[in-house]
Amino acid sequence: MSTKGKKISGPKTIMENPSLMLTGLPLIFYELKFLKPIFSLEKSFYVRGILHRIAAVGLILNVIWHAYYTIFTKRGRNNFKELLPKLKDFKDAFKLFWHNLGLMRFLNRKGFLKKFFIAHPYWLFERAPEFGRYNFIEKFEYWAVVWGSVVMIISGFFMWNVELSLSLFPLWVHNIFVIVHGYEALLAFLAVIIWHMYNVHLNPEVFPMSKVWLNGKITGKELRTLHPLEYQKILEERKERAK
Amino acid sequence: MKKTIVFRAAALLAASLMFIPLFSLSSPFLNQSDEDCMVCHEDQELKTDDGKSLYVDSEKFATSIHGAAGFSCVDCHSDLREVEEFPHPTKLKAVSCGECHDDAVKEYQTSIHIQANPEEDCCAVTCADCHGKHDINSTTDISSRVYPLNLPQTCESCHLERVKTKRGGEFIKQYEISVHFKALEKAGLTVSANCSHCHGAHDIKSVNDASSRVSKKNIIRTCGQCHVGIERDYLEGVHGKDYVKGIKDIPVCTDCHREHDIISPQDLSSPVYATKVGDVCSRCHDDETLARQYGFLTERLKTYSGSFHGTASKFGETRVANCASCHGIHDIRPSVDPKSSINPKNLPQTCGKCHPGAGENFARGKIHVVSEKTSNKWAYFVKMFYIIMIAAIITVFLVFIAADLFHRLRHNRAKS
Repeated sequence: MSTKGKKISGPKTIMENPSLMLTGLPLIFYELKFLKPIFSLEKSFYVRGILHRIAAVGLILNVIWHAYYTIFTKRGRNNFKELLPKLKDFKDAFKLFWHNLGLMRFLNRKGFLKKFFIAHPYWLFERAPEFGRYNFIEKFEYWAVVWGSVVMIISGFFMWNVELSLSLFPLWVHNIFVIVHGYEALLAFLAVIIWHMYNVHLNPEVFPMSKVWLNGKITGKELRTLHPLEYQKILEERKERAK
Repeated sequence: MKKTIVFRAAALLAASLMFIPLFSLSSPFLNQSDEDCMVCHEDQELKTDDGKSLYVDSEKFATSIHGAAGFSCVDCHSDLREVEEFPHPTKLKAVSCGECHDDAVKEYQTSIHIQANPEEDCCAVTCADCHGKHDINSTTDISSRVYPLNLPQTCESCHLERVKTKRGGEFIKQYEISVHFKALEKAGLTVSANCSHCHGAHDIKSVNDASSRVSKKNIIRTCGQCHVGIERDYLEGVHGKDYVKGIKDIPVCTDCHREHDIISPQDLSSPVYATKVGDVCSRCHDDETLARQYGFLTERLKTYSGSFHGTASKFGETRVANCASCHGIHDIRPSVDPKSSINPKNLPQTCGKCHPGAGENFARGKIHVVSEKTSNKWAYFVKMFYIIMIAAIITVFLVFIAADLFHRLRHNRAKS
């Protein structure tokens, strides 16, 4: 059941997010002329609103489903624990960046700070950090989506029900909902376009895409190279079970 | 006794002769009768040397207002009264309508039509150009050239092609798409504005002439002849109050509704159509110079466009609030006016037109402000927070991706 849950939540998200963005972002970029023809029909803006709300309902249901999965299934709780940010994640990010840059190794080769590097080989960042079930990139994306969904659902709910919103809050608070909804959307859009696109699609290691989101399964090779700590953990669990 | 009868008869004749000049200015005993004139002029082939027809349709004349009243030829062609030799050899003097219609002619003498056309060196527009010659009918007669239903055609017969006004025939022809012309042509409404309702009849003047009915000074009154309620509302509003003071930049009817091609605000191509009216208002209200000169806020359309109302409107949604929905139409008032629809006290009612149950919260906060910094500190803070956060996060993303690509590039090179 749990795999099934994961299986549908990926495809669902990929339906909802682009449709929310397609029907919502034009409102931020209202000055762009090329958007005008999209809304050339008399009812098109109205239909846009309906589609946006349908997609929003989809997102809300997805979030509810995910919350249920996280709270009430063992696998969900386990995943959630694995997703909690730990000190290691910050260290990993730091390590990976310096490892990729290779500046310290370069300095070492050129003979700079020799003593320092002999005493503290950590700062050479010789090896890339090894990741567990979720690396810091995936954790960051997960929490970004959680934060984004909560913010968008709350602000969007009050924009949808503007009369309710204004019976509870003064106009200046409602104006903040509108601002938040727009900027959060922009942030999500840029995060998807830049961060998600690179890490999950354009990155040569996974290009054209990692297929985990479709069937919830990862290949052995991918597991060993991308998530070695999780691989080891699984091996150990199996050994224990075999005893 | 016999003497008295003869005397009485003579007296009666004399008395009746005295009344004749009221209808016919000359004595029939001295001059040609109409029949005498028609001997020649009923010939359709009769022409002047330069080919101008001299034919007179006696039947049309008989049914014309002058013919029906018993006028004879020489009543108007007064220079023939004394002529006894016929056919009369010379060209006749122009008929002077002013002998009877002195009021109309006086007005006409102040008009642009009496001025010679410098290009053609002649041809000031005469009475006959609009009213006809022998076939003149009463202006209340449906067949008259100047009857409301026919007047546009009469004016256009010169103004579309022959007479070049500054803005050209196209400008004149735009009248034909107007709501006024449609009412005239399609609905047959004679009260609908035709040329003379706005421009006057005999006293037509150039729009640049301050005394013209369509000059900025008079246009409100001119449109107000029919649109009485709108004139009243306009004069009560902020535009009208400054208009009365003679401020030249104040918009009048034609600045928003256009001139000849005034169409219904429900028409998609109307400048005051729901989704387009913002462009009209912003011609002044986004103008920095005017804003500084008259002390009003600028960037009104810009800031409106950023709101949901404005954005939706830009994408063609007509149900959202446009300028007029909140500010009113002709009687736009400043927010400090207690009668203003955007006075904070009236905002719940104004917003309530679309948002049922709108309460006081609608007035607690400002919309389309130039800067949140002064009007809504929290909104400004949130906005700045997001801008900084987005910039920071995206920068980190890009730096990370760059480092990753850099590493891969080196790695691949090392491999090969």
